[in-house]
Amino acid sequence: MLRKLLKHEFRATGRIMLPVIGILLATSVAANLSLRYLMGSDAWFFSMLGILLLTAFGFAIFGVFIVSFILMIQRFYKNLLQDEGYVMLTLPVSIHQHIWSKLIVSSVWFIVTVLAVILACCITAFDLTIIKEILWGMGDLFQELRKLQAYYAINGTAIAIEMIVLVFLGLVAMCLQFYSALAAGHSLPTHKMAWSVAWYFGLQFAFQIIAFSAIQILDQINFFNWDIFHPEIHLDAMAGIHIGMAMMIFLTVVHGAIFYGITTFFMKKRLNLE
Amino acid sequence: MSVLQCNSLSKHYGKIPALEQVSFAIEPGRIVGLLGPNGSGKTTLIKLANGLLTPSEGEILICGAAPGRATHGLVSYLPERTCIPTWMSTRQLMDFYGDFYPDFRRDAAQEMLQHLDIRPDQRVKQMSKGTREKVQLIMVMSRQAKLYLLDEPIGGVDPATRDYILSTIISNYNPEAAVIISTHLISDVEKVLDEVIFINRGQVMLQSSVDEIREEKGMSVDVLFREVFKC
Repeated sequence: MLRKLLKHEFRATGRIMLPVIGILLATSVAANLSLRYLMGSDAWFFSMLGILLLTAFGFAIFGVFIVSFILMIQRFYKNLLQDEGYVMLTLPVSIHQHIWSKLIVSSVWFIVTVLAVILACCITAFDLTIIKEILWGMGDLFQELRKLQAYYAINGTAIAIEMIVLVFLGLVAMCLQFYSALAAGHSLPTHKMAWSVAWYFGLQFAFQIIAFSAIQILDQINFFNWDIFHPEIHLDAMAGIHIGMAMMIFLTVVHGAIFYGITTFFMKKRLNLE
Repeated sequence: MSVLQCNSLSKHYGKIPALEQVSFAIEPGRIVGLLGPNGSGKTTLIKLANGLLTPSEGEILICGAAPGRATHGLVSYLPERTCIPTWMSTRQLMDFYGDFYPDFRRDAAQEMLQHLDIRPDQRVKQMSKGTREKVQLIMVMSRQAKLYLLDEPIGGVDPATRDYILSTIISNYNPEAAVIISTHLISDVEKVLDEVIFINRGQVMLQSSVDEIREEKGMSVDVLFREVFKC
């Protein structure tokens, strides 16, 4: 059933996201042409047109991020907590499947958005001298890196992957924070959206207090001074970075799992469609 | 086994009671009118049967099971307002119902849509309010469900549409299933009902077959309703 939910969710979101990405790519082509031909023109009209096309490209990048973000919230709100919820929440699927379908589709669109923006930037910069210089510079950088030990190459790649995983999980946790606030706010009989906003900031504040208190407590018990507990362990900087990244990934997963628990609790036990 | 059974079912919204100690059972093959004035608890009862609300006390069972994922496959529910996604075309809507409900009869839905001259590529948002309601009803009645829960199916539509809706219900429901029609427009639905449940202020006032009412009390359901709920 999750596969079927995903199919219809992609159908619902694709009709908005695909045209927006299409506009982004079209403006990137226009921006490329304006950079290559219009911007250096002596005629004021073409010069002005070039500036306008570049501005449109900037707005398109901003717009595609905004649309994917709003769509993430709007689909959960409109499809599950508004009138469509009467149809969706009486389907023979579980609440978990509903939440996962929204989460997976939002995450996919976030990834597609980032890839589309990278592609659009590449299109805009295609065949421009500045990009050639950047590419030559990167070539030189790789030549230098090849001279370094495999140790740095492997660790560098690992840190990049860890960073990508962390950003991705951070986005998923952010989605779940919005979902939990909406689910909690809409469990109340009146002023549902106002309560959702209050829940969002309440959860944010509670997590900041918990995180701050935990750091204080760990600091007081000298948790960060490893030499006290394990004088035999001497971590080098690279190992420290990996451990730090692993801890941040773990904490992001815990963060997301708490919001997931709050969302499922309110959707299962406190559902209150008006 | 009863298709729908309520045992001492209560639902409170905060301190306000919506249903109080409601108990009744509905057997398969019956068309039942859930009749009561506005605010009597009809919609709350139907939402509880669909798992859209959780009971404060007591239990509600669909074919012996508490409302949930398994019972959603047995119940075909028509909400009191149009809730189908408006961006969908009728073809996409049939895909949607067909994907999630194995008992959805696409050919029956297509035939009913054709009868109304609704094109498969026509989007729901391009339709009038009345047509949207008909399309939603067609999707609901194209299922071979065990229980049909129809919340105010004829509220807010013109008399011709009322006739169309009632004839669609009668000619399409699964004869082994139970149909519950919630309404306060008694005279329009009376002719199709086998049984009635009168509900007021969250309590069941009467459960009886239509024939019993006519024979024993010598009056129509509409007249009895007006007498029971006289202001």
